[in-house]
Amino acid sequence: MDLSFTPEELAFRARMRTWVAANLPADISDKVHQALHLGKADLQRWARILGKQGWLGWAWPAEFGGPGWNAVQRHLFEEECALAGAPRILPFGPVMVAPVIMAFGTPEQQRRHLPGIMSGDVWWSQGYSEPGSGSDLASLKCKAERRGDYYIVNGQKTWTTLGQYGDWIFCLVRTSNEGKPQTGISFLLIDMKSPGISVRPIIMLDGGHEVNEVWFDNVEVPFDNLIGEENQGWTYAKHLLAHERTNIADVNRTKRELERLKRIAKAEGMWDDTRFRDEIAKLEVDVVALEMMVLRVLSAEKSGKQSLDVAGLLKIRGSEIQQRYAELMMLAAGPYALPFIREAMEAGWQGDQVGAAHCAPLAASYFNMRKTTIYGGSNEVQRNIVAATVLGS
Amino acid sequence: MDFDFSDDQISLRDAVQRWVEKGFSFERRHGIAKAGGRTREVYQELADLGLTGLAVPEALGGMGFGAVEAMVVCEELGRGLVTAAYAPGALVAPALLAAAPAEVQAAWLPKIADASALVVLAHQERAARYRLDHVSTRATQAAGGWVLDGAKSIVPAGDEADAYIVPARTAGAETDGSGIALFIVAKGVAGLTVRGHPTQDGARAAELTLRATPATLIATDALPALEFAVDVGIAALCAEAVGAMDKLVAITVEYMNTRKQFGVAIASFQALRHRIADVKMQLELARSMSYFASLKLGGPPAARRLALSQAKYQLGQSMRFVGQQCVQLHGGIGVTDEYLASHYFKRLTVIELSFGDSMFHLGEVSAHMQDTAGVFA
Repeated sequence: MDLSFTPEELAFRARMRTWVAANLPADISDKVHQALHLGKADLQRWARILGKQGWLGWAWPAEFGGPGWNAVQRHLFEEECALAGAPRILPFGPVMVAPVIMAFGTPEQQRRHLPGIMSGDVWWSQGYSEPGSGSDLASLKCKAERRGDYYIVNGQKTWTTLGQYGDWIFCLVRTSNEGKPQTGISFLLIDMKSPGISVRPIIMLDGGHEVNEVWFDNVEVPFDNLIGEENQGWTYAKHLLAHERTNIADVNRTKRELERLKRIAKAEGMWDDTRFRDEIAKLEVDVVALEMMVLRVLSAEKSGKQSLDVAGLLKIRGSEIQQRYAELMMLAAGPYALPFIREAMEAGWQGDQVGAAHCAPLAASYFNMRKTTIYGGSNEVQRNIVAATVLGS
Repeated sequence: MDFDFSDDQISLRDAVQRWVEKGFSFERRHGIAKAGGRTREVYQELADLGLTGLAVPEALGGMGFGAVEAMVVCEELGRGLVTAAYAPGALVAPALLAAAPAEVQAAWLPKIADASALVVLAHQERAARYRLDHVSTRATQAAGGWVLDGAKSIVPAGDEADAYIVPARTAGAETDGSGIALFIVAKGVAGLTVRGHPTQDGARAAELTLRATPATLIATDALPALEFAVDVGIAALCAEAVGAMDKLVAITVEYMNTRKQFGVAIASFQALRHRIADVKMQLELARSMSYFASLKLGGPPAARRLALSQAKYQLGQSMRFVGQQCVQLHGGIGVTDEYLASHYFKRLTVIELSFGDSMFHLGEVSAHMQDTAGVFA
């Protein structure tokens, strides 16, 4: 048992730090550090920089063109990116659909899709949730009917994150009503430029356009776009969930945001208020404990000696902490969190700030962060899963 | 970075586990508590396993093991709810004596290793709460050597100990960090009064009064040595708490799966399922921070102290939540003396209030946190 990284791991970290410092555009990291609005161009520019290096699919094995890093190396890469102020890599392509294509796709599907995911050129979206199917995802109704070489898809997906930019969408669709709900689901890759698809914005409580509804009206999807076998899609989707492990806790970004919280508290005169500073101290302990839990999982993955089934705990704790730092930042700003000037959340705005510039995005971030305990399996669903493991019943 | 235990550490754990299973039943524990909490006999059995020499250097009759081995042992003692002054006698005292001159070490450490001497830290004072630099006991040099005047409180296994390590002031005002020396005071010397009493967890402690009591000097300007030893004690308590919580959760899970109400196992009720999920969360956070505490013990003092306060705060939160909720999940049986869950709860409560409670350590974190934070900060 040992808390220190090996010399090789430290050298790897140094190499990552140097590379990120040299390649992360300053205008992008400035926006991240100040929580200003990041547009499609920012996100895709960073994705392509990583793609060119072969690191956008940073968790990919070497046989599919990834760097073949182990769990600790992946963590160190994520940490260096986060601390330097890199935008979050959108997970839909490299983290979510790519492992499914690798594990269950045909060689032709792999050749066709993986290069575009790795390069950052093809923007992927996720089509899982439906208006009637949230936590009870297996009840989904969006229907795909076989007609010759095509599926005809009809129905609706929702909460499609940044789907307004999507080139492709991976969907769970109903191909059978026989048996249990889980057994009639298939995993389809759908070109979003297909006739019959329409994307409608959902404006969220912070005023942002982050998610969408996607409607399918007699959309023709070639049979070749089916992943694996028909009616086995639920199995593939669960495989995907198993691949979302430690990064679900987002502890590296949280460490960066804790630093920002302290800067804001100091600037707003709240650091010397012990009642407020104690709240930051509680959060700091929460962050260290979360990081230790993540490191335990990484160590277990690296050595293979013990299995740690704590993915649900990481999701619950990580999301609660994200909400808490956003909340404390807003509280640090106090009344200066109240003005809602959208332009003030854009980089380079020259208008008159109300209070300090760092106050402008804080309430919006607080409101936005309420999503974290809802998405990716609500925290209540996660508690069901944790309880089933603990109780064995 | 590696959180696997070595084969030797696993053997050590198994040895303690076997002893607990064979030699330390709940009935035995209950009997000890009812009889007043004297545990010297239990301590001797731990010595027979070689455990009291764990932290004593090999040259002085011990095993010279480190923080991880100590953690392994304490976790198992916690799981077995073992009442014995193991951490005070076998871990904290050797850490304090590391600051002593060679002849003092040679006089005491072999006896600590074989448990012929139980030596405990007597540092708490009435007005100090948990502050280590708050010392009003005075040390003065007399003709025959040092003598001490003052009082120490809640000394673990105080009326069963053979000697006490006592912080006393050679200079400075009551709350000065400098001018604090460490002394060793043997049982039965002139001017030493020991008044023992039971504690909430079925063990014992004592109040000491010192009136011109002769003492042997361990070290002057010894606050850093005292702080280090207390951190050793905190790490030991964290590990013990993890073992105790782990077992308490297991007991509770078993109860939830067998206890029936409304015709079904109470484990089927979602309100209770979510509660046990939250309990599991606190247990795993605690386990993570117990590892953190032990692995940070060897670090530079400022970072070590902050890390240990972070750990003790997390453990305090976890212990209170796990203890209270496991009692709650048991219902009425959880608040009885005959059933073991309440005894785990009481021991966890005592641990929270030892070496600084949650509020104290939150204050420490709040006062000392830096711009950057994290496991490696």
